[in-house]
Amino acid sequence: MIDLDFLLDTLGKLLAAVPTTLGLFFLSLLCGGMLSLLVVAMRVSPYPALSWFARGYVLVFRGSPLMIQLFLIYYGLGQFEFVRESPLWWVLRSPYACAVLTLALCTAGYTAEILRGGLLAVPHGQIEAGLAVGMSRWTLVRRVIAPIALRQCLPAYSTEAVLLVKSTALASLVTVWDVTGVAQQIIQRTYRTMEVFICAAAIYLVLNFLLVRAVALLEHRLSPHLRARPSHVPTQTKTV
Amino acid sequence: MDLFEMLGFGEQGWGSAVLLATLLTVALTLCGLLVGSVFGALVAAAKLSPRRSLRVIGECYSTLFRGVPELLVIYLFYFGGSTLITAIGQWFGADGFIATPPFLVGALAVGMISGSYQAEVYRGAYLAVSRGELEAARSIGMPTLMLARRILMPQILRLSLPGLGNVWQMSLKDSALISVTGLAELMRTTQIAAGSTRQYFVFYVVGGLLYLVLTALSNQAFGRAEARMGRSQRRNFVNP
Amino acid sequence: MTTMPPPITLTTTGIHKSFGSHHVLKGISLDARKGDVISILGASGSGKSTYLRCINLLETPDQGSISLDGESIQMRQRKDGRMEPANRAQVERVRSQLAMVFQSFNLWSHMTVLQNLIEGPMRVQKRPRAECVEEAEQLLQRVGLFERRDYYPAHLSGGQQQRVAIARALAMRPQVMLFDEPTSALDPELVGEVLKVMRTLAEEGRTMLVVTHEMGFARNVANRVVFMHQGVIDVEGAPADVFGAQGSERFRQFISSHQERAAA
Repeated sequence: MIDLDFLLDTLGKLLAAVPTTLGLFFLSLLCGGMLSLLVVAMRVSPYPALSWFARGYVLVFRGSPLMIQLFLIYYGLGQFEFVRESPLWWVLRSPYACAVLTLALCTAGYTAEILRGGLLAVPHGQIEAGLAVGMSRWTLVRRVIAPIALRQCLPAYSTEAVLLVKSTALASLVTVWDVTGVAQQIIQRTYRTMEVFICAAAIYLVLNFLLVRAVALLEHRLSPHLRARPSHVPTQTKTV
Repeated sequence: MDLFEMLGFGEQGWGSAVLLATLLTVALTLCGLLVGSVFGALVAAAKLSPRRSLRVIGECYSTLFRGVPELLVIYLFYFGGSTLITAIGQWFGADGFIATPPFLVGALAVGMISGSYQAEVYRGAYLAVSRGELEAARSIGMPTLMLARRILMPQILRLSLPGLGNVWQMSLKDSALISVTGLAELMRTTQIAAGSTRQYFVFYVVGGLLYLVLTALSNQAFGRAEARMGRSQRRNFVNP
Repeated sequence: MTTMPPPITLTTTGIHKSFGSHHVLKGISLDARKGDVISILGASGSGKSTYLRCINLLETPDQGSISLDGESIQMRQRKDGRMEPANRAQVERVRSQLAMVFQSFNLWSHMTVLQNLIEGPMRVQKRPRAECVEEAEQLLQRVGLFERRDYYPAHLSGGQQQRVAIARALAMRPQVMLFDEPTSALDPELVGEVLKVMRTLAEEGRTMLVVTHEMGFARNVANRVVFMHQGVIDVEGAPADVFGAQGSERFRQFISSHQERAAA
């Protein structure tokens, strides 16, 4: 009953689209990550103007569907004369770039909240110990606050990364030929929905699996201080 | 046609269409959530079961619906459903292509996806119920069914509320993806209005704002529900 | 033959501090000479921890001045009337010459014991790494934790963590050491090992300000006792005097209620 040829052919076509999906993912991960640092810095800053702007940013990008954000940027911005004539147009007229831009803006909002959660979880006592030893604010952030906050964020961030992989599928709605786009095309032509779904779903599941494992590995590497205590005590004693 | 006429409720205005579409979005999400609560409860029960086979099934459901892009799931139900119904129809002698009713597809897709997240919420809530309270009930001879109804369920409901609030928000945004089936919910209606008037920017902003309004109202509603349900619990001295 | 009294290292004058409407410190003036081991006693709420935290500006005093080794910390008034340090760099410098041991140890959880010890000297005092590591290892030997230098704080007991914290403070080569209830968070059987280390430091001639409930330390190790009550210094002097005839009525009540609790 299962047409193996069709299955393999579909798989081949879908795998050819994986680089597009991965490109969308990594570019938006990077840009979104950097943007999120800016947003969270604004959010925790003592200046109300910055803090409220950041709050608004997070609210907008977490409270509205990614699809409408994407269409707003791709179709909405392209409507204006001044946008089409601006130097940004070479970016904004490409569906791929618009998708990356939207995904980056959106993930920055979610990531900023995750980072903020991590910052709030840094034990206050360790910050005071840094202050008491005379650390400058920047040294404190660099050596105490950021390392601890980032380690706290990793579990929540792995969920966000998976959501980002799934979100790349929306790029297919603005004519980007990622895995979902190609899958939809095959389905519409052949109506062999189940087989195509199985192939496409398998690809995404593998990607997510690898992603989760990668974050877990990072978590493991960064947290020897949270693991069980070493079972031996080093025997060499240095004489004073 | 100026801005107000376009957005207004007159003959040429899109105001009424957009508002109706908003109601449809809410209805769709609500139905989806209800469907999801059934699946969620079943999957949670499966994951908590002592039987390995059930736990595996629960895990597979979760992994599938949390790892595969929502768009693919929607395509599966829409195109796959159409193929199925057309086949059944042909069996009964009907001719031609029968599409699955979009609302049904939408509710089912949103439902099964939210179900996987709801399962986690219910599972967490179940595990968080204090064992001591259940023991106390058992020790006075309360029958299991009554115990479930009077002690377990109210606690699970209270503990699930925050998680359910998140799932509701997520499902509201997922409902926008149902627009690909042509259902005239908020996203699709915004799209049609934008395309028809060529005022892409305005309508996508309006659509986005309406989603934000829905999100804000949901936040308030859940906040109040949480406060009412949690009035028996001790409060921290600091407001979150 | 008269010996010159040791020079005054730390001077605090007229320290006031309020939290909202609660006036916690109502004018504390205290001088610490080199080698002084000052034990600060008082009931909860008397302001003793707040006072200690004002010295290294973890709390900002509303009024008053602080000088270390003759250098006075410059303060200025903010637009909203509150005080703040005028020169951030000066505060950081002064802090690097003080060292604080906290009630909850506050070791940096993502660093090993050794890394905790070299962090301040290397990054704040900008000393070369090799020198910091060597000194850190010596300090760990002294507090008896050299074998655990590659352990993380989470793997140590409370008493061990506090001893590491003391070593970390010593690594900064401080002029004055501030101890904020160093044994209050420890299980009773672990208190002894920490007090032993503190006693050794006192006998070496370190300048120490110790906020503590440990009466034994105040009586036997400190050379000065300060008793605070409701934000002011009620009585101060040598332990023999304060615990003896010169002590105030309030102080006697304080000790007896402490002993009752200990006996119960």
